[in-house]
Amino acid sequence: MSTSVPISNEKPVAAVNTDDPVGRHPLVLGGLGFKSITDRVAGISLGKTPKTWPFALALAVSLLMVLGGSLGWLVSQGVGVWGMNSTIGWAWDITGFVFWIGIGHAGTLISAILYLFRQKWRTSINRAAEAMTIFAVLAALIYPAFHVGRVWFAYWMLPIPNQMGMWPQMKSPLLWDVFAVSTYATVSALFWFVGLVPDFATLRDRADTKTKQIVYGILSLGWRGSHRAWLHYERAYQIFAGLSTPLVLSVHTIVSFDFAVSILPGWHTTIFPPYFVAGAIFSGFAMVVTLMVVARTALGLKHLITMRHLENMNKIILATGTMVGYAYGIEFFMAWYSGNPYESFALMNRVFGPYAWAYWTMVSCNVLFPQLFWFKKIRTSIPAMFAISIVVNVGMWFERFVIIVTSLHRDYIPSSWSYYRPSLVDMSTFVGTFGLFLTLFLLFCRFVPVIAIGEVKGVLPAADPHNPHDAHDAHGEKAGVEHHG
Amino acid sequence: MKADLLAEFETPEALLAAVEELYRRGYRVLDAFTPYPVHGLEQALRLPRSKLPWLVLPFALGGGGGCYGLQAYLNGWDYPLDVGGRPPHSAPSFVPISFEMMVLATALMGVLIFFALCKLPELHHPIFEVEGFAGASQDRFWLGIDGRDPALKRGTTEALLASLGASRVAWTGETAKAAETSEAVKKPTEAAEEVPGAVTKEEPS
Amino acid sequence: MATSHEVSTKPDAIKLDAESAKKLQGIAIGVAVVGVILAAAGYVTDPHRLAFSYLTGFLWITTIALGGLFFVIIQHLTKAGWSVAPRRHMEWLSGALPACALLFLPIVLFSHDIYHHWMSAEAAHDEILQKKAGYLNPTFFYVRAAIYFGIWIFLASYFAGRSREQDKSGDRKLTEKMQNLAPPATLLFGLSITFAGFDWLMSLDPHWYSTIFGVYVFAGAAVSSLSMLALINIGLQRAGLLHKISNVEHRHDIGKLLFGFIVFWAYIGFSQFILIWYANIPEETLFYRHRWEGNWKVVSMVLLFGHFVIPFLVLLSRHAKRHYTVLGGAAVWMLVMHYLDLYWLVMPTLDHHGAHFSWIDLGGLLAPVGVAAVLIARLAASGHLYPIKDPRLPEAAAVQNI
Repeated sequence: MSTSVPISNEKPVAAVNTDDPVGRHPLVLGGLGFKSITDRVAGISLGKTPKTWPFALALAVSLLMVLGGSLGWLVSQGVGVWGMNSTIGWAWDITGFVFWIGIGHAGTLISAILYLFRQKWRTSINRAAEAMTIFAVLAALIYPAFHVGRVWFAYWMLPIPNQMGMWPQMKSPLLWDVFAVSTYATVSALFWFVGLVPDFATLRDRADTKTKQIVYGILSLGWRGSHRAWLHYERAYQIFAGLSTPLVLSVHTIVSFDFAVSILPGWHTTIFPPYFVAGAIFSGFAMVVTLMVVARTALGLKHLITMRHLENMNKIILATGTMVGYAYGIEFFMAWYSGNPYESFALMNRVFGPYAWAYWTMVSCNVLFPQLFWFKKIRTSIPAMFAISIVVNVGMWFERFVIIVTSLHRDYIPSSWSYYRPSLVDMSTFVGTFGLFLTLFLLFCRFVPVIAIGEVKGVLPAADPHNPHDAHDAHGEKAGVEHHG
Repeated sequence: MKADLLAEFETPEALLAAVEELYRRGYRVLDAFTPYPVHGLEQALRLPRSKLPWLVLPFALGGGGGCYGLQAYLNGWDYPLDVGGRPPHSAPSFVPISFEMMVLATALMGVLIFFALCKLPELHHPIFEVEGFAGASQDRFWLGIDGRDPALKRGTTEALLASLGASRVAWTGETAKAAETSEAVKKPTEAAEEVPGAVTKEEPS
Repeated sequence: MATSHEVSTKPDAIKLDAESAKKLQGIAIGVAVVGVILAAAGYVTDPHRLAFSYLTGFLWITTIALGGLFFVIIQHLTKAGWSVAPRRHMEWLSGALPACALLFLPIVLFSHDIYHHWMSAEAAHDEILQKKAGYLNPTFFYVRAAIYFGIWIFLASYFAGRSREQDKSGDRKLTEKMQNLAPPATLLFGLSITFAGFDWLMSLDPHWYSTIFGVYVFAGAAVSSLSMLALINIGLQRAGLLHKISNVEHRHDIGKLLFGFIVFWAYIGFSQFILIWYANIPEETLFYRHRWEGNWKVVSMVLLFGHFVIPFLVLLSRHAKRHYTVLGGAAVWMLVMHYLDLYWLVMPTLDHHGAHFSWIDLGGLLAPVGVAAVLIARLAASGHLYPIKDPRLPEAAAVQNI
């Protein structure tokens, strides 16, 4: 594991004019080729454990224990330990659920949608982003599973024949959610695993101990890299991308249905499905940027996850952030245009009511700060993008909170008006979900190829046998540059 | 396809050229083993397009249609529920779950069919005993010829592969033992000269 | 490869030959003349009906032109390499926008008829409409239309103009200039098409509102313009004019985009429908209630199957998207369906209890389409068939679908 990549190697990145319409900026820098990419990425999984990793894992696991404790307390005492009341029956739990599900969406966008659009730059980041998707969905699943209180009855949500002859209410959006989210988790995991098989084979072929050989050998299922298998692989990948694209849209669409099919002002509005999807991708990319900025330094992957990758993601954050801003604007316009007093009250109450502080946090984090990405200087500055990506995640958490809590806290009957304050268990549960997410992500970084080795090789100029590439020698290694790894 | 005679190449170009040359010389049962899908090989190997999409299509239709039917049965017929005045059988509200189950059925069956088509998982394969074959998942490009290939001739084919730029030529499994005597294929000198990382040009930046 | 049967050593034609150019313009003028005569006859017969038919026809060609503009902007925004030739064809379509501005004048004349719910005196007695009067009033309506057309004509002529300039100079800086304008252009485009949709379509029923409506209009624009693009590319390829810079791979790509936007249209349409249907709030469901009366129910079902289910199944296969006749047929079909979609949005305001198709509708369609087509044909006949000095030509010609 190399953490000693000299910073000076990054300089040419900023110097090259990425806007030059002729020729594309290289996706892999530092003259890496087939061998050095394999060395670099496989080295992380097979090499020695870096010194900082156990500390990070210990921190993550202690947060995970907070989650375990909070959920244990919840199960033993009942959902009353959360701060909800009879007016505000949904609060931090659904906020946390939507927050995590949203985070997951960027991974699928990168692995599926960008694939369909032939965006080759996705290859360096898709593996980690897909891992993030799966872990985020698992963190999200905590909430629906536990908010029922008696978790041992969770199977009631499935249509299983029973002695009472009753069936689930298939017309309920909450049940659609059950199917959507569990399908999403399953399909994302399958997609991820199919992509991992050839890379596990690489690890198997390089493993230096018997244990690693056996473990990676089993995981690679005996993959040999036969071209016949590659053809099926590419087709399977295409089918998965084609399935995951509508799937990812459907998941957040169905999440938005949880709110929008109701008649509650502030929830019932037709823009919700695409608006939720845009918001999900927005927050997900922010999380990918946060993670990648750290990971590329910690794991020595600056030549693979380059400034161009980060800049592209920042552009997507800007685009989706603007779409979210569009949705806010249209919602506002329509609240006025509808001429409906309830609609306009709900919106005005958000802006000037008791939760105005949350609303303005949301607007500034989601709409104002990402606009800084219009400037190339900010788009390509590591500290700036790191800060903005965190701001966006905070903002997107607040967006869900604002939608859920401010719409509920003013009931049609003023005597039911209320104010919501989270309980300690609310907070510890949410903090604990980060423990689950980070624990899984750290394990992933240590034992699984964090970059899709085979896919990155496929986008090297040397990979195309029809492409003349004189700057490269026989192995796609750029000559004259020393290799780190 | 059983890869009995294997040859290692250093670059995708060399592999592709070798495949094309072998095909010209009448070899018909060939395969390639590469660290990533090399484009152009499918034409050179005359491989058909994968049938995978057509094989999963029935499961997609069955998953979606079956799930619609299930919902219609559960909520429309067996235990009608009146919620908010919506009819017991209300098509729009059965769409989301039908779609999700269509995706789930396609994905699950897609993975199973994909592995079946690739004949995976396979716990052991004699090909892995070939020295250097581990490179096929890293930075080497291997060519395999089936022992049943009509054009394959012990002795001459090895020499042909070597002349095409193979840096290694080897037999797998049983055939390897039988051919122990003819194992004396030498590394061609041209290939040996192409040492990775050789300084040839300054990086233009 | 599947391209083998199309491989030819002959270079791509850079211009239409004089004869085809003349023929193309002749057809456009013919359609315009027939359309104007039919529309005039329609006006004499039933001016009220013609007003609505004309609005439908006007929106049909305007959304196609807008879809073209969107495509051009997005290619620059994403610095796309595959789409050099299709971009030029979409520039032609967006070049119809000045004609659309001219074609809006009859709408201005008809406006008190079409939008009588909120333009006439009766609106003064309507409490809800009084609240909206700040937005829904004739003066602001015309001013907004002028702003929309101002934005669109500026953007269309900017991108098409720089692109034509590059045909002469080959200056790469022009590509960068277009790329720099693309992000703000996307923003302007998104807002203007949304509010144009609110003004021209949603305000037909001024009590009704839906926040997703702008996206729905956009989805229709994307589907119809991509269908037109598919037809243009198929035409140029079959005529043997283009076969390198626009070949089976580009056709496939256009087919994929068309397929994608057909699904997108269905997604947006379904989202709007299910939320309104499920919540069942009277002032909202009325919109679908009107479109479920009499044989409007049939039209609604035809839209569901014709605008989504059937084309989805047809275009699912890779073979279909690469096939001249299948893709071409699907494109023509989608253009008809896009007309029906607009008809379904506009005409229930006129035909309350069921659809009555009339020859006047044909006049209302052909007149604006013919006039816009004259301009599009002139652009196609006078300019180059693809951006002949675009820096990304080699990349575009080398596109391969796996």
